[in-house]
Order: sequence, then structure tokens, then C-alpha cells
Amino acid sequence: MDTKTLLEKYFDGSLSKDEKIDFERLLAEDSSFRDEFEFEKNVKTAITINERNDLKKMLQSFETTKKPKKSFYLIYAAASIVFFIGLFTWMNFSATNYDTLFNEYYQTYPNTVSPTVRGTTSTDLKSNAFYAYDSGNYEEAIALFSEIYSKNGDDFALFYKGISLIELQKYDEALAVLQKNNSLKNSTFEPYFLWYTALIHIKLQNKNEATLNLKLLIESENPLKKAAKKLLSEIE
Amino acid sequence: MNNQPNLIDLFKENDKRTIQKFYNEHKNGFILFAKRYKITNDDIVDIYQEAIIALIENAKKGKIDSLQSSLSTYFFSIGKFMIFQKLKKEKSKFSLKDFSNLEYIDENYTEENFNNQVALLQLGLQKMGEKCRKILEFFYYQEKKMDEIKELLGYDSKDVLKSQKSRCLKQLKDSIKEN
Repeated sequence: MDTKTLLEKYFDGSLSKDEKIDFERLLAEDSSFRDEFEFEKNVKTAITINERNDLKKMLQSFETTKKPKKSFYLIYAAASIVFFIGLFTWMNFSATNYDTLFNEYYQTYPNTVSPTVRGTTSTDLKSNAFYAYDSGNYEEAIALFSEIYSKNGDDFALFYKGISLIELQKYDEALAVLQKNNSLKNSTFEPYFLWYTALIHIKLQNKNEATLNLKLLIESENPLKKAAKKLLSEIE
Repeated sequence: MNNQPNLIDLFKENDKRTIQKFYNEHKNGFILFAKRYKITNDDIVDIYQEAIIALIENAKKGKIDSLQSSLSTYFFSIGKFMIFQKLKKEKSKFSLKDFSNLEYIDENYTEENFNNQVALLQLGLQKMGEKCRKILEFFYYQEKKMDEIKELLGYDSKDVLKSQKSRCLKQLKDSIKEN
């Protein structure tokens, strides 16, 4: 086999076992083959870096277009309009709109526990549970997470069962599940239990309970402290 | 998940609107997740973008054509892997248990093979004609086979394509000698 074909096969990943041996031998013995190989490898690296830089630029442009810089004048004008609309709605309803707040702050917590990647057709309980969760098949997810929790008492199972119940708008049940968390101190999920519990109370218009949970979140150092403060200021 | 193959195809085409939509839809969830660790906000956005790039790159290389899980889940496994690498690099304290089932492993995402010739080649590539750039991009970046490239670019025979590719490489080689 000629050296060009060997190189081609190296780069498209189709060298056979025997060809690999040939390839290694040439690399060790033939300096012009080695030079050509190094050159093509550098071409590959250069193209890769260029492509990544282009993509990075595109992604960075998403960040800036999301916060367009408007003149202050416009912002004040807009703010005063918002204020008057706000005043108007406030006088009309004179109450916090809990549904809006819930919709604004709530989002499905991503599956960060058990990703399934190409080729893995593993059939264990955990994978099935998260597969159902990811597919939006919450009924099934709830059943599987319950099974995991009763078997091993894993905090993640309890947590994702709670989120699945919220997705199905079964708020009272979700509350009962998430509040079982008492015995799970020091779990990495702990602040998230409090956060979602608070959100459900907001949905159910239990102002006092929501306030209590948010205050607990603010008391300690955790990733949700800032968001909790903001939400608390909106319901008080 | 029915429209997933379509989404992967659009990633392959570098479709800006699709990428932007995916980017915006997953950002808050990712930040919420990444904040469990001691990483600054700027770093989180940076890692987030790297993870998106890796996702699109894998789509282009055809590595996720037969993905079993949802694209979002696959994406989070990349992101999680990258957070793990970051924490390891900075020797931060973290619970290994959190990362016990990492399944996304990227062979060589880091650019450690960087050298002077690579820098010159980057410039040389930018000056190249569209025809050569496409061939080299398909072969070296998207890791496509020559037969596939022949179909994609409409060459009559594989030999014609092969000699065209050799000419492109020679042109690149000459361009870096001038410097």
C-alpha cells in the first residue's frame, strides 16, 4: 500500500491492524513520511482551531445581542410606562400575581445525574427513570424514582420525583415528596429542595410558607441565595 | 424527541437560528447546575460555550447520529465533563461522587498540540479558496471518508478528488514557506 493511502486511512480512522503496524514502522524509519504526517496533523489542528474560533464568535454574539444597549432616556421612558402599567394592575388586583411569579421562576431541573450516551443501551432502573424523565414521560418517571427511593433512599430520586410531580401539576403531592427531605441534610440537592418547595407554595398562594423556605435559603451560603432574595422581595 | 435527527442535521449545517435557540434554551439550566460548584459566572459562561462547541463538533463528525438519549441530556453530560475538568485543573475541592458516572469522554479537545506551524497554517487556511477549504474541512475536521466527500462535492471520481486534495495541501505548504 502506498504511503498516501496509509495516511488517508489514518485520518479517516480506517487503518486495519496490519496497516497500523506498517504505519508505525514507516513513522520510525522514513523521515519524509514522518514530516508529511506531522504536516497533515498540524493541518487538522489548524482547521479545528479555526472552526472552534468561528463558533465561539457566533456564541459570544448571542450574549451581546441578548442585552442590547439602549440609551438611558429610552430606559427611563420604558420604566415609567412599566411603572404606570404596574400601578394600574396593582390597583385593579391589589395582590401579587402568584401564577406569573411561579411561571417566571420555575424551570424543569435538568437531568444531571444519569446521562445516556450513544451506544449504551443499559437497562438498569436509574437509566430507565432518567430516560423517562428526559422524554417528558413523567408518570413513568415518578413510578421508577419511587422505586429507587424505596430501595436505596437516594436523595436524587426523591428530588426528581418531586420535579416530575410539579411537571404534572400535582402540586400537593410534589410538596409532600419534597418535604421528606428533612433527613437529607448536607445533600448537594438540599438548596434545590428548598427552592422548589418555595416555588410550589407560591403557586398555591401560601405566602407564609413560601417566605419561610426562601428565608432558610438566604440564611446559608448556596447557589440560589441571590435568586431567593429577589423572589422574596417580590412577594413581600 | 421525534424532531431530534432534524436538529442534529441543522447543527451539521451550522444553522445559526437553531444554534441560538438551543443556546438560549439550555443556558439557565446549565448555570443553575454549574452554580453548585465554586466557579465564577464568567467561567460558567465560558464552559457553557465550550460545551456547545463540542456538541456541534460531535454532530458534524457524525458521532451522535444514533444517540439513544435526548440531545439535552447528552449536552449536559458534555457540560458536566467540562466542569469536572475545570475543577480538576484548579484543584478545587469537590465530591467525586457527583462525577461518578461520567460517560462523555473527549479524546483531545484541548489544544495542546499547538505550535508555530499550526499558527501559520491557520492563516494560510483563511486565505484559501472555498473549494480547497471545503475538501480539507470535510476530511480533517468532520472526519468524513473520501467516498462521502466525493458525493457531497460532486466529483466524478475519487482519483480526481484525491489529486485535488494533494494540490490543496501543496498550496498550503507553499503558503507557509513564504512566511
